[in-house]
Amino acid sequence: MLRMFYGGNVWKSIVIIEIPIYFKNFIIEHAENDVPNEACGIIHSKNGQPSSIHKVTNRANSPYRYEMDGLQQLNLEKIRDENGENLFAIYHSHVATEAKPSPTDIRMAFFPPGSFNSEPMFDNIYYVLVSLAHDNADVRFYKINKGPSVEEITVKFV
Amino acid sequence: MTVTVKMAAVIQKLTDNQKEFTADGNDIYNLILNIENRYPGFQSQILTESEEVHQFLNIYVNDEDIRFLAGLQTIINAGDTVSFLPALAGGQ
Ligand SMILES: [Zn+2]
Repeated sequence: MLRMFYGGNVWKSIVIIEIPIYFKNFIIEHAENDVPNEACGIIHSKNGQPSSIHKVTNRANSPYRYEMDGLQQLNLEKIRDENGENLFAIYHSHVATEAKPSPTDIRMAFFPPGSFNSEPMFDNIYYVLVSLAHDNADVRFYKINKGPSVEEITVKFV
Repeated sequence: MTVTVKMAAVIQKLTDNQKEFTADGNDIYNLILNIENRYPGFQSQILTESEEVHQFLNIYVNDEDIRFLAGLQTIINAGDTVSFLPALAGGQ
């Protein structure tokens, strides 16, 4: 895959994906409603296209971290099985920092956390970050891979 | 006691890709040992060397997080559902 290096340890992908703007707006609204705490949730897909979006309770109740409610997580897994959906993306907000996965976010993409030499917990999903640090909320998509290597995906909201 | 064990998708590889199965135990710790007998390697992914549950792994008995019950000593009863899942978490 063609990649450009653009600083930090994040690669910028030249691949462009299209995402309905509904998802972006939903994420921003959820993040703004949950200020001062981080907000988090899950996007499902059907046939490769994002199909539904679900808020999940941040049981860390914190401006600096998130931890998804486990039972809601399990319940969404069940809904995916029933509806023939797949896990497409995990989103969370950064209230005061940039829309970029933090070192903790990257560590936690692996299980056990930080086991960078094995495959991440979920392969082929997007990690979506929304930043509320500036006047306009910024929503960005990433892939986190073994290594770890972090790749930003260029998204066109349609 | 025979309980239903549910594994989150991301850790089903620990149990031979079984999403749901039954297993016996009188408490959570004992259940983990019994699952380990069937699926060697399970315990080391669930418990630390000092035999505590990994910080970022959640275990639920029905709808209750065992952290808010008696931890590994939480008693399980026939018909309970015990779920294992890694935390989806991060920090800024
Ligand atoms: Zn984060």
